Amino acid sequence: MSRLNPFAKLPGLNAASVLLVENEEHFQQSLAEALVKETSVTVNVRLAKSFPLPVENDESRPRIDLVVFIINLTSELSFQSAEASLKYLEPGYFLGKVCFMVSNARSSSVPAERLDAVRRLAASLHCPLLFAEDQTQQGVTNAAERLLTILKVAAGFVPFTTSLCLSNLTRSTLPPDIDQPSFD
Amino acid sequence: MDSSESGEDINGRVERDGDPGGSSGQKETSTADMLRIKQQMSNQCFEMEVHLNAVKVSVSGKHRRSCSTSEAERDYSDHISELERVKTLQFNQTLALHRMQMWHAMEEKIKINDPESDALKVVNERCMALCCQIKQIQQETRLLQDEITELQKKRLEMKRLTHDKMKEMEDLMSSKEHPDTEKCKAALEKGQKNLEKYKKMSIMAQNVLRGILLACKINWLDDPKLRDVAMTLEEFPITD
Repeated sequence: MSRLNPFAKLPGLNAASVLLVENEEHFQQSLAEALVKETSVTVNVRLAKSFPLPVENDESRPRIDLVVFIINLTSELSFQSAEASLKYLEPGYFLGKVCFMVSNARSSSVPAERLDAVRRLAASLHCPLLFAEDQTQQGVTNAAERLLTILKVAAGFVPFTTSLCLSNLTRSTLPPDIDQPSFD
Repeated sequence: MDSSESGEDINGRVERDGDPGGSSGQKETSTADMLRIKQQMSNQCFEMEVHLNAVKVSVSGKHRRSCSTSEAERDYSDHISELERVKTLQFNQTLALHRMQMWHAMEEKIKINDPESDALKVVNERCMALCCQIKQIQQETRLLQDEITELQKKRLEMKRLTHDKMKEMEDLMSSKEHPDTEKCKAALEKGQKNLEKYKKMSIMAQNVLRGILLACKINWLDDPKLRDVAMTLEEFPITD
C-alpha cells in the first residue's frame, strides 16, 4: 500500500500544489478553475476521485502541499469514499496539510447525522473544516479564496507561519451539544 | 482524458505560468521575487527539519513512554502555552527594539542643526519641563498620601481605645450590681426569716387566747376593748 508522503519530493519554486479529492468530480472542476486565477504564485491543481492514486503518475506528480477532501453532504458515498481514502495518506499530512471541504450543507435533504459525522472526523484529525457553496460563481470564488489562504501557508509563502502553526488556529472543534438532537 | 474508477485525472493538471508583467517567453525574476522564493524555501526547509527532529525524537526517546492520547493532549497544551509565552516575549522585545531605534533616530536628528531639529528641541524641552513637574507633583502626592495613612492609623488606634474603654465600662457596671444585690439578698432573707418567726409566734399566741376565751366562756361582745381583740383573731387562720 503506497502512501502519499508529504516530504518525499522537493518543493517547487514559487509554486504551490493542491490535490482536490472528490468522489462525484463535480465541484472540483469549478474550484480548480477559480484556484488557478491566482497570479502571485503558480498554483498546480491536481484532481482525483479517491485514493489510492494511480502508480503511473507517481513520477510526474509534484510534491503535494495540501490535500483537500471535498464531501458532498447529499450523498453518503461521498463521505465514505473520503473516509476510506484517509489511510492512504502519510501521518505527516495531518499536521496541517489536509483540509475538509463540505458542500450542500444547507440542503434540507441532508440528515443531521452526516454533518455530525464529518465534524467528528475533522475534529479527531485536527483538520480545518470549510463549508462551501458550489452552485453559484460567487460561492466558488469564496471557497477558492479560503483554500488559497491555507494553501499559501502550506506551501511556505507566509513568513513565520507553517501549516502546523496555522492548524492550531484553524482546527475544527466539536460543538459541545453535538450529541443532542437538533431542532427538526 | 481517460477517467478510471479510482484514477487520477491528468486532465486536471491546470497550470498557469506566473509571469508577473514580463514579456512572453521571458522569465525575469526581480529581487523581490527572489527574496520571496528564498523565504518560501526556508519555510519549507524549516518544516522538513521539524519533521526530521520529531521523527528522530520519537525513534530514540519514546520507547519507554506509551503514546497515550491523554499524555499527548497534555503535552500539546503545554507546548501551546510555551509557544504563546515565547511569542509574547518576542513581541515585547520587538517593541523595545523599535523604541530604541526611534530614540536613536531622534538623537541623530537633533545633532544636525536643522529647522526641524530646532522644533524637535523645543518639544523636547517642553517634555523635560513637564516631566520635572510630574516628578514634583508625584512627590507631593506621596507626602500627602503618607500623611493620610498616618491619620488613618491614628483614627484606627482611637477606635480601638474607645472600644476597649466601652468594654471595660460594661464590665464594671455589670459587676457593680452584683455585690449590692448579694448584700440585699442576704438582708432580705434574714428579714423574711424573722418575719416568719414572729408570725408564728403571734399566731400561736392568738390561738391560745382564742382557746382561753372559748373555754372560759367570756362574753367578749359587751366589752369594746375585748371585742376589738377578738375580731383580730378572726383574721389569722387557725392552723398554719
